[in-house]
Amino acid sequence: MPGDHRRIRGPEESQPPQLYAAGEGEEPAPRDPARLRPVYARAGLLSQAKGSAYLEAGGTKVLCAVSGPRPAEGGERGGGPAGAGGEAPAALRGRLLCDFRRAPFSGRRRRAPPGGGEERELALALQEALEPAVRLGRYPRAQLEVSALLLEDGGSALAAALTAAALALADAGVEMYDLVVGCGLSRAPAPAPAWLLDPTLLEEERASAGLTVALMPVLNQVAGVLGSGEGGPTESWAEAVRLGLEGCQRLYPVLQQCLVRAARRRGAAAPL
Amino acid sequence: MAAGFKTVEPLEYYRRFLKENCRPDGRELGEFRTTTVNEFGAPPTDAPDKGYVVPNVDLSPLCSSRFRSGPPGEEAQVASQFIADVIENSQIIQKEDLCISSGKLAWVLYCDLICLNHDGNILDACTFALLAALKNVQLPEVTINEETALAEVNLKKKSCLNIRTHPVATSFAVFDDTLLIVDPTEEEEHLATGTLTVVMDEEGRLCCLHKPGGSGLTGAKLQDCMSRAVTRHKEVKKLMDEVFKSMKPK
Repeated sequence: MPGDHRRIRGPEESQPPQLYAAGEGEEPAPRDPARLRPVYARAGLLSQAKGSAYLEAGGTKVLCAVSGPRPAEGGERGGGPAGAGGEAPAALRGRLLCDFRRAPFSGRRRRAPPGGGEERELALALQEALEPAVRLGRYPRAQLEVSALLLEDGGSALAAALTAAALALADAGVEMYDLVVGCGLSRAPAPAPAWLLDPTLLEEERASAGLTVALMPVLNQVAGVLGSGEGGPTESWAEAVRLGLEGCQRLYPVLQQCLVRAARRRGAAAPL
Repeated sequence: MAAGFKTVEPLEYYRRFLKENCRPDGRELGEFRTTTVNEFGAPPTDAPDKGYVVPNVDLSPLCSSRFRSGPPGEEAQVASQFIADVIENSQIIQKEDLCISSGKLAWVLYCDLICLNHDGNILDACTFALLAALKNVQLPEVTINEETALAEVNLKKKSCLNIRTHPVATSFAVFDDTLLIVDPTEEEEHLATGTLTVVMDEEGRLCCLHKPGGSGLTGAKLQDCMSRAVTRHKEVKKLMDEVFKSMKPK
């Protein structure tokens, strides 16, 4: 970056060798549209964070850490009627600050560290999806910080980040109504516009539309939906959302197992 | 409990570290992820035969709640500069090896080090991660087409980098000008009155010495540190060789 004196300077411009390579198109292999890639999830691996989780689904690797609750920065907000169950009035409720970043080496091309608009949009999406699940009323005037790091993008990155963030919050002992499970979908381009669950990077790149749904499995409530792309009939989008929600339900047992194992590990390590 | 022992019998604690053999803990404490991404660039005008190696250390709020998101803070900048110095001074790779066509095209190796968990001693972990990543780099073969003067890349044929030396860093925390602790954790670094990092390569040559202020050290103590660094290098080299042997060629 031209003016950035905080980082070591490299050349002004550089191009990845792939641009010059003799191009060979890769086509995504045909597959069952409702297949979910096997997931590896592990919670409680970072010692410096209050709670943490690592999720791997196919080529996508996400690491998430939670810290807090910490006294909130920003002005005091006035009181109001107290919520049910001894919770703080709405104006004093805690805040959830989410941060999403991509590692420079996560995609095909290196992305220089200051991420820009896309990362902020995804961070906001994370926050909107996680808020319904966290009992923020129990953390008055406090803030919880969630940082998600995408180590490698193999498709459905936002969905993986959502799931990892929810696991990390649970691992940190934050009071929650339910876990949040995320699932990605993409619609293949024109000749056969079918919705594919849990797309790989290749499928996502060639898609005409993409969708991410976040579900709270036990309560069976949708926590967030983020979609973009070419328009289509509403039934098609409705069907996609249904497919996504089914996918989330199927993922839930794996995450439960992961949290149980983490709690056991923590219990075994605690008495010193 | 260990903390109590430390204050009561600090020298013994230090000796325990010395006795411990080849501790992979040194790496787990401050986990790092490095990758090197290779790209093309024009060589710098003052050195037309050289390529670039651009290190970048990222300490995010993920690894510790001390850090804020945003541009790199002081600690990250110091670490990045340290890595740049190690690369330069130890000559891990000759920059000439990175040149494809003198004055026109050279390789740029972007080394991005992301700290996942900061439990002290990041400089040691950084150097180790960097070395492992550089060993893993595969550069595709490039030829310059005479007529079009464009590069042609053959992604199928890849060759490894020529790594000349294997520098290993050893960090110490200084307490009250007298006590030295090897491989300090986050807590120890915080309590220390100074830190020192020594980088040695396999022939016992000193590549880099990093002592950012802090309490003074006698010459004898410094010698002590350097000999400890030489021993540590042997331990770490053994571990590194095992790791590299077990890596599957891509």
